[in-house]
Amino acid sequence: MPMPSRGPAPSRLPAMAIRIAPIAGILILWEIAALSGIWPRQVLVPLEQVGATLLALASDGELARHLSASLYRLASGFLVGSVIGVSTGAAMALSRNVHRLLWPTFSCVRQVPVIAFIPLLILFFDVEDSFKIVVVAMASFFPSALATHDAVRDIPESHREVARLYRMPTAPFLVRLILPATVPQVLTGLRLGLTRGWLSLVAAELLAADSGLGQMMEMGRQLFQIDVVLAGVFVTGLIGFLLDNSMVRVERHLSRWRTA
Amino acid sequence: MKRLASFALALAFPALVLGWWEWESRQGLGHAYAFAPLEQIARSFLEMLADGRLALHAGASLQRALTALLIGGTIGIVAGVATGLSRVLDRTASPLITVMRQVPILGWLPLVALWFGNGDGAKLLLVSLSAFYPTVLNTQKGMQAIEQRYAEVGRLYGFTRSQSLRMIAWPSALPLIFTGISQALAFAWIATIGVELLFSASAGLGTEMMAAQVAARTDIVLVCVACVGVMGFTLNQLFALLRTRLLRWQPATAK
Amino acid sequence: MTDHRPLRGPATDKAARRTGAVRISGLSKRYAMGGKAMTVLDDINLSIRPGEFVSIVGPSGCGKSTLLRLIVGLDTDYDGEIRLDDTRVAGTGLERGLVFQDHRLFPWMTVAKNVEVALLNQKLPRDRRERVISEHLALVGLSDFGDAYPHQLSGGMAQRAAIARALANEPKVLALDEPLGALDALTRVKVQAELQRIWMEAGTTMIMVTHDVDEALFLGDRVVVMSPRPGRIARIVDVDLPHPRDRASPLLHRLKDEILAELTREPREDDGTLVTFPGRPRG
Repeated sequence: MPMPSRGPAPSRLPAMAIRIAPIAGILILWEIAALSGIWPRQVLVPLEQVGATLLALASDGELARHLSASLYRLASGFLVGSVIGVSTGAAMALSRNVHRLLWPTFSCVRQVPVIAFIPLLILFFDVEDSFKIVVVAMASFFPSALATHDAVRDIPESHREVARLYRMPTAPFLVRLILPATVPQVLTGLRLGLTRGWLSLVAAELLAADSGLGQMMEMGRQLFQIDVVLAGVFVTGLIGFLLDNSMVRVERHLSRWRTA
Repeated sequence: MKRLASFALALAFPALVLGWWEWESRQGLGHAYAFAPLEQIARSFLEMLADGRLALHAGASLQRALTALLIGGTIGIVAGVATGLSRVLDRTASPLITVMRQVPILGWLPLVALWFGNGDGAKLLLVSLSAFYPTVLNTQKGMQAIEQRYAEVGRLYGFTRSQSLRMIAWPSALPLIFTGISQALAFAWIATIGVELLFSASAGLGTEMMAAQVAARTDIVLVCVACVGVMGFTLNQLFALLRTRLLRWQPATAK
Repeated sequence: MTDHRPLRGPATDKAARRTGAVRISGLSKRYAMGGKAMTVLDDINLSIRPGEFVSIVGPSGCGKSTLLRLIVGLDTDYDGEIRLDDTRVAGTGLERGLVFQDHRLFPWMTVAKNVEVALLNQKLPRDRRERVISEHLALVGLSDFGDAYPHQLSGGMAQRAAIARALANEPKVLALDEPLGALDALTRVKVQAELQRIWMEAGTTMIMVTHDVDEALFLGDRVVVMSPRPGRIARIVDVDLPHPRDRASPLLHRLKDEILAELTREPREDDGTLVTFPGRPRG
């Protein structure tokens, strides 16, 4: 069926403008306040200075160094944490004995915010890269394990009955039934894990690191360079947004069948 | 019999971890640095309990988290109701909140420290912000999701705007508002520990953990970790009870 | 539950009623659907006496629910005229009530509070208000459930509570939009008897839309049979039988056969099954 073209294009521009207007308004107020000199320029940095700092950091490779350090930790921690998390979650949901063995401990430890483990992890791993990777891994482990567990457990009994009825062997049972039925929920868990991982990583880097966005901001704080701190806040937020947004896209793409 | 088996299995895993821990702690001084013997952990716990240190720090953290929940939650609910009812406010405030929210809470910390110092006020500001997001978002969603079915009943009986607000919009948004508050409670607790770890001033479990870490006292760190977990869990459960009590009009399945 | 107490209710003295007459003349309703105008109701003319019980039956799509929404004033966009006691209907008003198919009790209020909803905008002193609430709870047999929440009630009880709410402000006309449609067959028969008693006690003009011909005949002084696409009145059947009625009455059975014949005259795939099946209607 041909789709009628709806929503004329011109109306989109004002809508976008309305959404951006409040943000632009705040930025303009900021700029006016910064230029008015009510507060010292050191405290309320004009926006162009933040921009200049950001450019400078970007061009001399400083930003790239911190950014790549952070992203490397995030990626490896998330990979480790989510792989272990998904398999643990699935194992707990599929096997009654694994559930009995791990679930009580899992639900206990889950109550502790990952941030609270940071001092302990510093004692164990020192402040090297491995410490931050473990923090990210822990932060992404719990949401992904929990989501996978719930997703597998929530597969309707009727699905399993169909599989039994057709005497489906284990491998196709996992690939063709468990996997598609659980994908959306697991992805939501992974997205949460990624967000938590990013949050915990920034905290860990603020606390103890020789590189990374968090460390860059912490150094900026110690040297009273608000422009560097603001640049850090901006990049941190941007990364957080991009991570979340891309995960949402992946989720939507892989869960098409739900609405289709 | 079956129950016994599952109980034994439930204990097997922690027992295994503890056994391994204890074994590691006996492998010479280098190991005992990180792996404090179990007995010492227990002793530290009793000691901290007896001299009131645990109560002092736990109390400080709890007070911080709850105060911030009160501040951030109240502002969040008010803002959520306002943006839920007024399209103009929604369009003005929502993009700002969305943009702000992209930055992890603790990412604001260096900036807040520079602007407001690292005293209690700065901590409270950040923890309140962490409680603000979930309450404002859920309240707004709740206020916007008023069911047409109930709005029609209001029209039938000639409800005024304030009556619709009080008797339809607000109560139908309540379950989501409670969801927002319970998320805010969890976030505020995490943020409290976070700011205490990073701003090591005055009392608090996070501060105490950080001090213990510097002094290489794994036993004290572990006692604090356990305390953070137990308190977070208890807060959560207490709030769930309160929720059930206040929303007793909801059928059991809707929760 | 089905005992017939002496006639004594919030609005007594049915015979003396002079108000509650509904006159519908030349009523038409059109929707714009996908750029095309669709006629839902076409030239409806109907005159209802004060205190009368009128049932409306018809297959899905004959616009009978739309008709009720127009009478009540939830929808004000129509051609023609609806008058209540010579006043033109414009918007909702306390003199016209509606019972929905889903009871629409506010789940966050107790049953008594839900009934009170109807009295909020009537200037009543507090003690009088309390009395009206308890009278109406008694009328529908829910005196012991004033403090219960809707989710604690069975479907039949919830619908009775909704009827109590609708009657509490003593509307001149009460419209009922398949009020028993969501109930199981057994409960349905019981609540029909209840509804008959309530109507006799309250003396309010009632207009009920239903899918169930038995129900329409058991309760209605007249049964309006509608035909679909566009919605028109096909026939009006007088049920000349005093209330309270006996289900076994041969007259009811004869009229039922007539109405079913009328409804299935042009066989369509959805007619026959939907007429007597006490399930949820489509749309």
